[in-house]
Amino acid sequence: MMAEQIVNGRVIAACQQGDRDAFRVLFETYKDKVYSIAVYSVGGDRAIADDVTQQIFLKLFTAIKQFRGDSEFTTWLYRLVVNACMDERRRRARLLPFGETVPMKTPAAKRPQEKQYARAEIANAVQLAISHLKPKFRLPILLKYVEGMSYEEIASVMGCSKGTVASRLNRGHGQLAKQLSHLREHVFGEE
Amino acid sequence: MFSNHVTRNVSAYCNGELSAEESRRFNEHVMACAKCRAQLEDIKLGVKFAEQLPSFSAPENLWSNVETKLGTVPTRNYLGSGFGTWRFQVAAVAAGLLIVATLGIWLLRRDQTPVHDSPSWQIQRLGGTLQVGELSVANKGKMSVGEWVETGKDSNAQINVASIGQVEIGPETKVRLLQTQPTEHRIELARGKMSARIWAPPRLFFVDTPSAVAADLGCAYTLEVKESGASLLRVTVGWVALQLKDRESMVPAGAACETRPGIGPGTPYFEDAASEFRASLTKIDFDNDSASTNSALDVMLSHTRKRDTLTLWHLLGRVDETERGKVYDKIASFVPPPAGVTREGILSLDQKMLDLWRDQVEPTWAVNTTIPKEVAEEFWRVKNGVTRNANDLQKKLTPVVP
Repeated sequence: MMAEQIVNGRVIAACQQGDRDAFRVLFETYKDKVYSIAVYSVGGDRAIADDVTQQIFLKLFTAIKQFRGDSEFTTWLYRLVVNACMDERRRRARLLPFGETVPMKTPAAKRPQEKQYARAEIANAVQLAISHLKPKFRLPILLKYVEGMSYEEIASVMGCSKGTVASRLNRGHGQLAKQLSHLREHVFGEE
Repeated sequence: MFSNHVTRNVSAYCNGELSAEESRRFNEHVMACAKCRAQLEDIKLGVKFAEQLPSFSAPENLWSNVETKLGTVPTRNYLGSGFGTWRFQVAAVAAGLLIVATLGIWLLRRDQTPVHDSPSWQIQRLGGTLQVGELSVANKGKMSVGEWVETGKDSNAQINVASIGQVEIGPETKVRLLQTQPTEHRIELARGKMSARIWAPPRLFFVDTPSAVAADLGCAYTLEVKESGASLLRVTVGWVALQLKDRESMVPAGAACETRPGIGPGTPYFEDAASEFRASLTKIDFDNDSASTNSALDVMLSHTRKRDTLTLWHLLGRVDETERGKVYDKIASFVPPPAGVTREGILSLDQKMLDLWRDQVEPTWAVNTTIPKEVAEEFWRVKNGVTRNANDLQKKLTPVVP
């Protein structure tokens, strides 16, 4: 939050004028968030995510001149990110189905009797499940839980209504619950 | 309209996106609608999983790669008039230091002053002395997440559990709020006594004690924690689950259950069970001497009534195979297992057979209480949308629930 406050109108204006240092500020502020969405969007392949993130920032550098301030800068930025991730996924889907080269480790979820299930393994299982969701269900979840956006902000980024966001999150949550139901006891295990 | 299903709002409810009024209507509907309650359970699970999603750190070399590719793009410096790269770097370092200092001061102040912006519950002193954090409360106050609340001798207070129920704490009780959000409300009871009345879907309200966690399944109950960390749960309406790691006891209305630090929940029993039955159960639950446990089981079985199969049912999975045979025989003498359920299957704890038999045994645990007519009528009014005010129903439940 505080880091994002550094990216004020002055920094954006400087970026629009081609200021490399200002762009570095922008990059440092958003690199982890953009990279996280890219990782999830391309099915967990870090090398592809790295490539996609670079493309997004290169595009940002040239496209930022078109930002007119009609919306929040973050909304505009994440719209760019979402579109880039969707394009990349579509492009690669023509070459190789996602999921076949996903390096995310399949968790040891076949051992329901284990008393303690490592948090990291649950996170890994969730990542895998997320990668299997359709983009229209996955992206609202990423914007909600990775970026911490409200429904209104997500609606603005995705260009749809709050009701559509709520509906897609319902479907996304429901599919996650179904895919990971064998891990129920581990997330509710501390009760 | 109250009678409309609320399934499309489940995620919005779990994510705190509904207004207070919408949340209240949602709760009212879910209490009465099994379909929406099931949907809520699923979505809550999905939300729990989504909350585990980690963020990733971009690789260190990402900027150099971007910068290399930017090399062909002409660049200028407009960030500030007359600011060269080195000046910007100095400014960036200074800004960084300022942020760190600001953050440090903020964290320091946060530790020293009450945080009124954080989620909180309303609390009211009913008698005696009441302290919230360092402050004495004369009448009404708030308890924020992390704050300890303590009552003095001969004191008591009432806490509003968000909008889903009420907790009354007794004398010399120490409690704190751990979490409050649409998908989970959790307090810690370190010592003392509390009584809870919860009007919400199951597994929304939890109480952590030193020896177990009590999960509300839609009910009213009292919970007492002693100085030793041992506790006693007594359920008056509905069900409560007591859990520590993989040991769980399901306690229905009319029953009680003790817990011990390091052991967790004991076995639930009906409070009107024979004194010999209860004394023997205490030995079985908390005595390490196996010889004494064996003889205690025999005494207990000789004093078992039909509804005490609640206790025997829990013991099935807790005793060794020899003793399990005795427990099986006793339950079967009251409620014969249905077709497809065999003695061997139950002794080997076959889950499908256990489920089939439990369906037959569980009705014997029902408490023979009659809901007063006015409460039944109010429930009908809420259920059918004549009134949306679940609080009225809760008030009318008060005389029924001690």
